[in-house]
Amino acid sequence: MFALIDCNNFYAACERLFEPRLEGVPVGVLSNNDGCVIARSEEFKALEIPMGIPTHKIEPALRRRVVLKSSNYTLYGDLSARAQQVLARQVPTLEPYSIDECFLDLRGMQEDWHALGARLVRSVMREVGLPVSIGIAPTRTLAKLANRQAKAQSSRPQVCVWTHADAPELRTYLKRLSPREVWGVGERLNARLAGIGVLTAAALRETPNSELRRHFSVVLARTAAELNGYPCLSMSDLETPRRSILCSRSFGRPLRDRAALAGALRHHCQRAGEKLRRDAMQASAIGVYLRTNPHHDTPYHHACEWTALPFPSADTQQLNRAAQRLLARLWQPLAYQKLGVMLSDLAPRQQSQTTLFDGAEPARQEALMHVWDTIRARYGRQALTLGPQPADASWQMNSAYRSACYTTRWDELPHVRAR
Amino acid sequence: MSMTPIALAASTSAPASGDTLTRGASGFPSPADDYREAPLDLHHHLVRRPASTFFMRLEGDDHRHAGLYHGDLLVIDRAISPRPGHWLVVVIDGELSVLRLERREARLYLAPSRPGLARMPFEADDDRLWGVICYAIHALPATGEEPASPSCSR
Repeated sequence: MFALIDCNNFYAACERLFEPRLEGVPVGVLSNNDGCVIARSEEFKALEIPMGIPTHKIEPALRRRVVLKSSNYTLYGDLSARAQQVLARQVPTLEPYSIDECFLDLRGMQEDWHALGARLVRSVMREVGLPVSIGIAPTRTLAKLANRQAKAQSSRPQVCVWTHADAPELRTYLKRLSPREVWGVGERLNARLAGIGVLTAAALRETPNSELRRHFSVVLARTAAELNGYPCLSMSDLETPRRSILCSRSFGRPLRDRAALAGALRHHCQRAGEKLRRDAMQASAIGVYLRTNPHHDTPYHHACEWTALPFPSADTQQLNRAAQRLLARLWQPLAYQKLGVMLSDLAPRQQSQTTLFDGAEPARQEALMHVWDTIRARYGRQALTLGPQPADASWQMNSAYRSACYTTRWDELPHVRAR
Repeated sequence: MSMTPIALAASTSAPASGDTLTRGASGFPSPADDYREAPLDLHHHLVRRPASTFFMRLEGDDHRHAGLYHGDLLVIDRAISPRPGHWLVVVIDGELSVLRLERREARLYLAPSRPGLARMPFEADDDRLWGVICYAIHALPATGEEPASPSCSR
């Protein structure tokens, strides 16, 4: 058996945990730079303010009735990790799938599935304070659907169990479900399935496997098998391995100054280098892109250039040197709105060795980066930076409504009142 | 005259692992190694369950009589079941609040310290409960002072 467990309106739930007055209030969470709405509480959805709406387009009358929050990934990430710890303690295998959902591999467990599901949901609520729902079924694909069904329940805890692929309630459910809603079937596949008369998930799983292989793909044939209760998709079938890294951000306000742009670029190179080293990868090529605001009257300028690194590297200084050279070539005296760094052709990190040719990454550079990461992890990202990094840099994110980092910073702990 | 630099310690990062034995000049392990233990770690002492433990800052002096002061650092474990005598973080009027749980005539109450507030009945699975406070860390006046400089006579 497999389970999919996910948190209901995760970002809003995290905000409410430390700000209980937001309970029952419509809460919307904004993207980086407070540009648009990326997450909504149930009450926010009920006001029919759509997902993705630009913040400034929310009508003033509605704007007064809702609470908007800047996204606080530090807080969300910490609470997500806590929830996973609570779950991992109780089941054999946990596979994180996104910041707010994970699969549990329950094979080998003999349990009353309903009781297990209820226990898991209650433990996350009690220990971390997040409302979660769980779907349990013979395959990951069915577990994902069971989770959706659980969410539709009004009773708590939200648990849905399908012990067999031919359970009557599951059959009825699949007959009413469009194939589009099945994990891994997108809009395009759905249209093609409609073309051969497959209009429901029930019809999809009854289509002969050979036919799906012939007209579509092995993966879709496996999806159909999963709907029939045969586990055959692994997480890696649905994940694309990370081949590139992108670190970019829009500026809070347009930036002309070349030195300020160079500072922003250093910041991105540090982030990119950290991501590389965390995944034990090295990059062979680096690109920089710059653009002005396409919605302004000023002439639109977009520039992007790539260069190969002298040798595959995960060294922040190396990345920054190459990136700064690209910036020097691309820069024009314009009001830029966005700057990004891209790394490509990633490969697993080679153990550094004494190579014959000149310029291979020396072991001391690697040791330096290790020390670098350790210091930044222990004392914070501001403790050690590549060149000066003013705290109030104008290229930093706009996050006017960010909640505190309640669980990760001593000076931002929640306050609790004596009564 | 030429000078030959003397190499410092060969490795830039001296291993600090507990498995490494400290060897004297003779190469024999130090007899103290058999007795080596990890240093005391206050965080591990205060935080038994990291997933469910949160820190908060107490605001207000109403619980001063019980030794809970304004500015104290509270260690809260959500995994603990509340029992009479426990100090709780509960949500009252949308605000995180600290109150003591009391039992009177077989019933549970949240007992405020602030004058003028009445005690509130509390259910076994009350959804106002946020967590149970395990420790209140109270700073004394010396907190944050620099150590005396060695030259300074005492």
